[in-house]
Order: sequence, then C-alpha cells, then structure tokens
Amino acid sequence: MFLTIAILVGLLMGAVFGLALEKSRVFEPGVIVGQMQMRNFIMLKVFLTAVATGAVVLAVLNGFGLVKLQPKAALYAADIVGGLILGIGIALAGACPGTTLAQVGAGYRDALFTLAGGLVGAVAFSYAQPALSKSFLGSGGGKIIFTDMLGIHYWLGALVLAAVLVVVLVSLEHWRPWRQEIGRDVDGDLGPLPTKSDRNVRIAPAE
Amino acid sequence: MPSLTDRAWSPYLAGIVIGLLQIPAFLIIETALGASSSYVTVGGLIAAWIDPALAKIDYVARHISAAPKNWWQVALVIGIALGAFVSMKLSGASRQPISPIWTRALGTSSPARRYAVAFAAGFLMLFGARIADGCTSGHGLSGMAQLAVGSTIAVAAMFAGGIAAAFTLLRRI
Repeated sequence: MFLTIAILVGLLMGAVFGLALEKSRVFEPGVIVGQMQMRNFIMLKVFLTAVATGAVVLAVLNGFGLVKLQPKAALYAADIVGGLILGIGIALAGACPGTTLAQVGAGYRDALFTLAGGLVGAVAFSYAQPALSKSFLGSGGGKIIFTDMLGIHYWLGALVLAAVLVVVLVSLEHWRPWRQEIGRDVDGDLGPLPTKSDRNVRIAPAE
Repeated sequence: MPSLTDRAWSPYLAGIVIGLLQIPAFLIIETALGASSSYVTVGGLIAAWIDPALAKIDYVARHISAAPKNWWQVALVIGIALGAFVSMKLSGASRQPISPIWTRALGTSSPARRYAVAFAAGFLMLFGARIADGCTSGHGLSGMAQLAVGSTIAVAAMFAGGIAAAFTLLRRI
C-alpha cells in the first residue's frame, strides 16, 4: 500500500523536477560542458539556489523537530575517488545521473546511450562492491555534519549557509547575467570562442 | 510571470522549485532527493534476470527489494523524463538528436562517435557515483544542504574531475 503511494509521489515529484530541469536549461550538454569549461554558469546558479532553498527548508523542518536529517556517511577515500570518476563522466556525458533522464525526455538521442552506459556501470559496480567495500574505499568516518563539528545547531548553520549562498548568487548574476547564458536555441550554446584572427579583424563596436 | 509555455525560466526560480522538493522527500518518504541508486535498482533487476547470483549480493538485494524508498526513486527518475518531455512539448523547444556543441567538443560530427562516448561516460558516471555513494543530487543538492562533510568533499571532487576532463578530453565549445 505505502509502496504504491511512494511510487505515485515519486512520479509526481519527478515530473516537477524534470520540468524545472528543462525550463532552467541546466540539463543541456551546452550548459553542463560549458560549466565545466568555465564558460557558462547556469549549472552553478541552479545548483546553489537549490542547495540554499533545501538548507532553509531543512532548517525549518529539522529545527521544529518535524524531520530527522539523513546525511550520508563520510567515506573520505570513496568520496574523492568516486567523485573524480563521476565528474569525468559528467563532463563526457554532458549530463549527470538525474539530468540524463531529462535529456531523454527532451529528445536527445545520445542520452539513451548515456542511460544504457549508466545501467551497465551500476551493475559493474554491484559485482565489484563486495570486494571494494573491504578495500580502502570502504573505510571512513560516520554521518558527520559541519555543525556537529562546530558544536552549534544544524538550523543555525543551514541558515548561515543559505545566506552566504544568496550573496554568492547575487554576485554571480551581477558578473554573468543568466539571460546572456541561455543561448539562441536555449541550449546554452554560446557559439565558438572568438579566435585570435577574429579579434584582429574585429571592427570597433558602433557607438 | 513565468509560464509553462516559456522556453526558459530563470535558474533561480528553477533552483527554488528543486530545493522545495526536499519537503515531500523528507516528510513523506523520509529520505533526501537522490537519483543514482535507481540505476542499481533497475540495472540490478535486469541483470539478475540474466545472472540470478547477482541478486545474492547484499548490496543488490538491498536495492532491488520492495522497499518504498527504492521504487520511489525509480519513479522519480521516470518522472524527470516525463516532466522534461511535457515541458518541452508545452514550449516547443524541441531538440535535435544530438546537441550541436558535441561537434565542437569532440571534433567530429559522427553520431557513432558521440554514442560511444556517451555510453562510456554513463558507465563512468554511475561507477563513480556508486563508489562515492551518491551523485549531484544525493551528495550535491541533499548532502550540501544538510552540511554533510563527506558530501561536500564528494562535490568538490566531482567538479575537479569534471573540469579536468572538460579541459583535457574535450575541445573548447
């Protein structure tokens, strides 16, 4: 019974998630590769806004005792090694595990190959998991969060994080307005970088 | 006013919508937003059909069990595809089969080359995400919002790996 509700809730939440990913264009390979090549900052804008919003939401829910936090254990070696491999995959896919599905929905055919590769990768890891968990990748700390290390309330730390992120986002928007990063076909494609010869022949801009 | 028929929304509006999804995730499902575990659930289920021994691995058994959390996440990623499809249809921002940036990034317009790179990239993404026990959603959106130490390290590593690969393995787009 709860399984059915969980699936319906998941579909509904996913539809909202997919809509937000599509509308923000953050699922575009042009945006994700552009971010990793430091040309387009839409990915960072969506990501940091979602983190700040989540932090405020959880500060309230956890601060009033309505929910328990669910942090993952800090497995330092696994976080670094896994994170690096995942990052390489993200750059070459022009997607992350969630946005791959948004690409499939929006009609990118290569995303079907990313998806298939992802499923095979997850199965390959599953075969290796019993051995890997006994290696250096399986060791680490517990479910540590920064505010416990500092000895302050989570809600306070989360609100401070959100405030800092708002300042970062306002500066980011001032430096790189998002409308200039969307691209003509809303795909984050800002065109080839101007080459040296382009710059030499460029005429003075009109007054 | 932003509308469902718009081709693009402000990244800040979209980010707020995504962040608010933590409310039903924590209140109803008692978990945080995430995406990469669902690949183990679906991949594991398909592969166990070919090799039943796979289902005996504890890690796989945990992911393919009828626990609501597992299938909530599978439904979530299917919902992402549906939501993106509907959004694209409403705005008419239909896509070519392959983003035009790949011709420049890969130095070839060959679809076969792109498909091969995409498959390998998907493999690396999920192999890495499962080692790290999370992806840009689980560690990124949820872990950082919860101030988790391991998640913050994982996100820094993701960007480090992504930036290094984008500058060395791809051409400038």
